[in-house]
Amino acid sequence: MLEGYLPVLMFIVVGLLVGSVAIMAGFVLGRRRPDPAKLSPYECGFEAFEDSRTKFDVRYYLVAILFIIFDLEIAFLFPWAVALHRIGVFGLAAMGLFLTILVVGFVYEWKRGALEWE
Amino acid sequence: MTFELFIFYLFAAVLVFAALRVVTVRNPVHAVLFLVLAFFSSAALWLLLEAEFLALVLVLVYVGAVMVLFLFVVMMLDINVAVLREGFTRYLPVGLLVGLAIVAEMGLVLVRYFVLPPGSAPKPVGPDFSNTRMLGDLLYTHYVYPFEIAAAILLVAIVAAIALTLRRRPGTKHQDPAAQIAVRRRDRVRLVRMDAEKKPE
Amino acid sequence: MTATLLEFWNGLPEDFRIPVLILLKIVAILVPLMLSVAYLTFAERKIIGYMQIRIGPQRVGPRGWLQPIADALKLLLKEIIVPANANRFLFLLAPVLSIGPALAAWSVMPFGHGMVLANVDAGLLFLLALTSMGVYGVIIAGWASNSKYAFLGAMRSAAQMVAYEIAMGFALVGALMAGGSLNLGKIVLAQQGGVLHWFWLPLLPLFFIYFISGVAETNRAPFDVAEGESEIVAGFHVEYSGMAFAVFFLAEYANMILISTLAAVLFLGGWLSPFEGTGWQAYVNWVPGTVWLLLKAAGFLFLFLWFRATFPRYRYDQIMRLGWKVFIPITIVWLFLEGFAILFHLQPWFA
Repeated sequence: MLEGYLPVLMFIVVGLLVGSVAIMAGFVLGRRRPDPAKLSPYECGFEAFEDSRTKFDVRYYLVAILFIIFDLEIAFLFPWAVALHRIGVFGLAAMGLFLTILVVGFVYEWKRGALEWE
Repeated sequence: MTFELFIFYLFAAVLVFAALRVVTVRNPVHAVLFLVLAFFSSAALWLLLEAEFLALVLVLVYVGAVMVLFLFVVMMLDINVAVLREGFTRYLPVGLLVGLAIVAEMGLVLVRYFVLPPGSAPKPVGPDFSNTRMLGDLLYTHYVYPFEIAAAILLVAIVAAIALTLRRRPGTKHQDPAAQIAVRRRDRVRLVRMDAEKKPE
Repeated sequence: MTATLLEFWNGLPEDFRIPVLILLKIVAILVPLMLSVAYLTFAERKIIGYMQIRIGPQRVGPRGWLQPIADALKLLLKEIIVPANANRFLFLLAPVLSIGPALAAWSVMPFGHGMVLANVDAGLLFLLALTSMGVYGVIIAGWASNSKYAFLGAMRSAAQMVAYEIAMGFALVGALMAGGSLNLGKIVLAQQGGVLHWFWLPLLPLFFIYFISGVAETNRAPFDVAEGESEIVAGFHVEYSGMAFAVFFLAEYANMILISTLAAVLFLGGWLSPFEGTGWQAYVNWVPGTVWLLLKAAGFLFLFLWFRATFPRYRYDQIMRLGWKVFIPITIVWLFLEGFAILFHLQPWFA
């Protein structure tokens, strides 16, 4: 099994190298004439008022948390889908119950308006 | 040293280094990124143990989802590191205590491993072996009860997350597509008969 | 020439032969991929041009065919600006993190029967894990630039990408239920028997959801609020220039090609001929399977460009609504129907 992952590992390394080499080539070949105006962050023509890293809408955290939960569901679905032929009706029922419980959560989420964006 | 062993030591070294940096680096965003690196290298170690499914799910769930949440939080909370450091000495004893407890636990596990006669190492599996399918065969039949409990825990997580973070801001507008589609002409348009202002001569 | 190469090969120690071979294969995948990316940008400008009754680029080389080369050279020679307040290391790391997964995902892609670089069992899971890494490049770029527009764009696109990743994940589960394996090659082989046996038919809603989510994942029009040039100028990569920008660009287009090829593999029978099971097959037997795969992928790529020329940009709340409230419920329901279909051996798909 492991020999199958050697090309994968090499491909990841090559992929990262392609990106790094391209950027390095850009640094070597490109011109460099920095000046303060050029290096200032993009704003519509005026000085930046404050640091851009500000507090954000809490809604984004909620999206991220819900994402984790659904991602876990997908992780549970993968082995189930592969084994479905062998575990038969019982397996389908087990997943049915699992998803029903989670759909209750999904409906709650929906009704409470956690999925609304104004 | 075989190639496999070399890969193991490589990723193990990266893992230890990254884990150390998580707790020593000052910038919280850097700390999260080191944690990502740590997860990634532990996924590689699991893969070396031929736990293919677990390794990939570790990347999928922890790197792809949990760490994204962490990044959201540390990027947007505007954490002031200096303030956080003030409590350092005050929490030190508690931290040390917890640290010692964990070291003791790990020590117990390791000692047990060294004292017991080593079992035979599992044989390497062939390229056609699917440990995802093996897991599927067991998880939804033999371990179906813990599996459903997991659903209940996730449900609690959904409800808790919403209860903790959802704030309705009054006065904001949002779209109700069902109402938009259900609209009829008579709700929107009223035809009024009016005489022309000037009667044609 | 051949003789010297052979000599070099024989001179290599046993242990190095396999890695060298793998490296050659990687290059054999990457070079055509890079060329496709270059000419995809050209096709995009030409096709959208003609859709808008313009000619598109036509100055560089005959009929503009050298335009992508000129663009690449120009980007290579431009200054890479690192903003003064930016976090230098992370700023330059972000593009690398977005192209790494976009390229590495190709290692499990089957180009023909047995023509796959890494024939691993959990190929589909590997792909999903890698695509979930793509969001890091975006978030880190937005944060490291320390610019409001970049940060806003990064947050928007991160929330959008995660929402559609779920829909995409569910659609992938549908394909692997039908194929009965996580291995992409086996999923293709499960679709043998002609156009009507391909999974697009039994999985029609999942097929649509997969492709639309793919468009949203790559932040392409009409889901490109992350760029939103009229509101937040260019989103997360507003501060990038020169090669640093080019790498992001490369990653985006490589991802488009990846999504298209994957759609062909999972739902349109991959390298299988569309004439299978008909009288026509005898005439096209000589066509290698890879050609069919590439043709199907090209069809999807055309859709990407067509969408961009046709649809106005979605509003952000509409995007989130589509992802969470439309796609996820549909996929869950369809997975169930599919589960029953598999258990009751609905012919001809689930024998």
